[in-house]
Amino acid sequence: MVVRRGGLPAVGRYVVLSAVLAGMLFPFVWMLRVSLLPTGSIAAENLLSSTFTLTNFLDLFAQTNMGIYLINSLATGIITTLGNILFCFTVAYTLARYRTITNRLLFVSVIVILMIPAHIVIIPLYILCVKGGMYDNYWALILPWLVNPIGIFLVKQYIETIPTSMEEAARIDGAGELTILFRVMMPMCKPALAVLAIQVFFTHWNSFLFPYILTQSESVRTLPVGLAMFQGHQAIDWQHLMAGSTIAVVPVLIVFVILQRRIVSGITAGAIKQ
Amino acid sequence: MPNRKLVSFLYGLPWLLTFVIFWAFPLLYSFVIGFTDYRLLQRGYSWVGWGNYVALFHDPAFLSALKNTFIFVIGTIPATTVISLLLALMVNRRFRGRGLFRAGYFVPSITSMVVVALVFTHLFSRGGYVAMLAQMVGLTPPANGFLYDSGTALASIMAMDVWMAVGYYMLIFLAGLKSIPDELYEAAEINGASSLRQFVSITLPLLKPVTLFIIVINSIKSFQVFTEIFVMTRGKFDTSSAVYFVYEKGLTTRYDFGYASAAAYLLFVIIGLLSLAQFALFRQRKKLSW
Amino acid sequence: MRYLFVLALLCIVSACGSAVAKETVEWWQFWTDPGIKPTIEAMIRDFEAANPDIQIKVTDLTWSDGQEKIVIAFNAGTAPDMLEVGSDWIAQLAANGYLSDLSAHIAPDSNRFKGWGMVTYDGKVYGKPWILGTRVLFGNRDIINQTGAAPGFVPVTLTQLQKSALAIQKMRKGEYGWGSNTAEKHRLYKKFLPIFWSFGAQLFTDDNRYCVISSDKGIAALTYYKYLNDSCGYVADQRGVEDAFLDGKIGYIISGDWLLKRIELENRKINLMTTLIPGPKYPGKSFLGGEILVVNEQSKRREAALKFIDFLTSPANQVRFCKANRSANPSSVEAQADPYFAGNPHLVTFIKQINSAICPPVDPDWPLIEDVIEKAVEDALFGRRLVATALRDAQIQITALKSHAKP
Repeated sequence: MVVRRGGLPAVGRYVVLSAVLAGMLFPFVWMLRVSLLPTGSIAAENLLSSTFTLTNFLDLFAQTNMGIYLINSLATGIITTLGNILFCFTVAYTLARYRTITNRLLFVSVIVILMIPAHIVIIPLYILCVKGGMYDNYWALILPWLVNPIGIFLVKQYIETIPTSMEEAARIDGAGELTILFRVMMPMCKPALAVLAIQVFFTHWNSFLFPYILTQSESVRTLPVGLAMFQGHQAIDWQHLMAGSTIAVVPVLIVFVILQRRIVSGITAGAIKQ
Repeated sequence: MPNRKLVSFLYGLPWLLTFVIFWAFPLLYSFVIGFTDYRLLQRGYSWVGWGNYVALFHDPAFLSALKNTFIFVIGTIPATTVISLLLALMVNRRFRGRGLFRAGYFVPSITSMVVVALVFTHLFSRGGYVAMLAQMVGLTPPANGFLYDSGTALASIMAMDVWMAVGYYMLIFLAGLKSIPDELYEAAEINGASSLRQFVSITLPLLKPVTLFIIVINSIKSFQVFTEIFVMTRGKFDTSSAVYFVYEKGLTTRYDFGYASAAAYLLFVIIGLLSLAQFALFRQRKKLSW
Repeated sequence: MRYLFVLALLCIVSACGSAVAKETVEWWQFWTDPGIKPTIEAMIRDFEAANPDIQIKVTDLTWSDGQEKIVIAFNAGTAPDMLEVGSDWIAQLAANGYLSDLSAHIAPDSNRFKGWGMVTYDGKVYGKPWILGTRVLFGNRDIINQTGAAPGFVPVTLTQLQKSALAIQKMRKGEYGWGSNTAEKHRLYKKFLPIFWSFGAQLFTDDNRYCVISSDKGIAALTYYKYLNDSCGYVADQRGVEDAFLDGKIGYIISGDWLLKRIELENRKINLMTTLIPGPKYPGKSFLGGEILVVNEQSKRREAALKFIDFLTSPANQVRFCKANRSANPSSVEAQADPYFAGNPHLVTFIKQINSAICPPVDPDWPLIEDVIEKAVEDALFGRRLVATALRDAQIQITALKSHAKP
């Protein structure tokens, strides 16, 4: 890393960075504060008071099967993330490196899916799931989502910036295609795959519409759907609403903060030098 | 080599299967439905040819939704791109607490849109924190809150979207910045180039591929803005977007699925053409910079 | 070998036998929050205990996206045997043949159940009213008292309401006289129509053929509503208005029984007053809606579903439901007479109001008509069009819709 001259002086930089950070985190601080507030008004004077309570969270856990929702979201999220890391990578690799007619068509199909609003495909997809025996079970939460267009596109663009010299060298050394794919290319794609993994996991973790339409039993209910059920009709206070939101945000946040050094360094360390 | 052809095909198979099994039928289904007057709750339908498409061009609700969508895209994309680049540049350097800032900026983009929209509904409300902030800098906030005023509703949602998206694109810019060889800066340093000069002649040109990727993906996503509008305003106060229109026509009121499908495909064509233009730009620029 | 085969066959037959004996009724419903879900489950258990041959398989729907799921399921032919639907969906579902005509099984006896108007389409009964909903006037007595109103003052006429709301505003203490919904789908019209009807205005002529929304009375009603809104209104979304009311910032709002639930669950200290929607002459009218239990036309288990519907709507179970959910309006007349309701003055207001509540016409085009009405109210409230122009345009549009529907 080269230390460069100029730019903002250290103190000024911290002031700017911290101001932006405050703006980024304020909504979360508000959310957390409200979730820890006893029932009643959420006016500013109450937020600034020193009364805290965990009742809102305890209510959520006592009155719903939050554990099931968390496990479902986590398990299907991890499986789809792993699937995407593998499949988006292989698909992106062939799209980036083999410019055949079929691959060009395949890439068109990737982009096409990106551009169609979900509400239009949800009905035929629902019919498919019902007829295919995938309705209301884990398959509906996993199978269609194992490889996603944005992911393919992201990794493909990334692979295109990597010079082909490494693969050619490996080929001359007599390495098989699988070795080239997983031993040579995959390590070099770490930055893109790290972004992909984060994006896939959180998209899945937050996804509401498809899990809601494609399942109905409580045993396969995911967290966003469970939280929507908890809200019920008209009469939920901000405290419980924000406690639910906190449950949806905080666990993944903790995981992210713990792993952020690895993730961000994974993203930024795989620098491709030419 | 036939062997490599087979390999290339096998690598692509996961997507091919997913596409054929899960997406080809829905795509075809809705495309065909777009030429009928099919309604979800009505039995039977008839073919209307291009009727739905013609009607869309005369539907003030669709045109205004399309207009809002364009405002949304044109307004958010430059802001998101510039701010995320600035953030990336700021946290790219080595300094104490860098990880904290990176993580902090990234947090909004991994949060559920429903949660974010709910929180911001409160922040934007009358007497809410955004209104307080506006008053502090001497502006008069709208009397009923930012979301319930035709002049500010869409702009508020756009601001929230920028807030939410910059962290993700910052991360992608960071990855891009790391792929710029240090030697280039070293050489510039030796030649006595100022840091502004270095930024303009080294960083910016080399970031072009990443920038264009960001713009393509962000446009495709922004053209389909929906959830925040569904949660925050339900399309009222001049905030209806193209996809919100599709939802409203197809899955509420009369369940005009044929009409909604046509609208979705029209939007599809618009996004497609714009993406094609961006791809063309992408290719051309790539040649210039690499 | 043969012995084993016979044994296996016997097992299969006996398995089938028990499956046939037990009928599974699938039911989709919306009561999912922790306050009421346990009661729903308990009622199902009790029903199954009393009817060992019937099993209920319940599926929860969310309020925000429930209709999507129902419509998609009906469209795909996978809808359940029995559903809870909002009163405003009956016409659309019935007109397209998705609901079972229950006329032969359910007699619309107004002495036993209220709300038959909501479930009758084209002369046939398509469901049984379960839990009804209406709107009443809520007031904050502490704020009202500060205006120097007589102790125990209750606005009985629209003029009194307006004067009292303005008096609150004039104190200039930061409180608002009136809480007003902003443009909100499915909510705004339920707040406006009570005032509209209280003015004696009608949406349609008595024979339901012509739209007369922009009559003199209709214009007077919207003018009045807009005046309250402009002169002393706190305008926000429903949640915002109710938050502000519970925080003691608003004198009067129109709301439903869920607000009582919020006050109780959130332990709010508010000196609450509830009364019937005022009219030019006491009493005024209100909006009537509700949850309806219907049977899918395709269902092969109609008898069992009907049994369960009768069970859920029985007076005892309705009281049980209302107690758990703090709902104020059971459809059962006998349930309404339960001491539980008489013991709470606010519930009494709701029980009384239901007698002068009007349900919007049961018309497959109602969702479109509703949109037009809300657009007109919205435009008038936010000054985009004059009251008279907005209502005249609405009348033209609704008339066009009706003539389209019946060629």
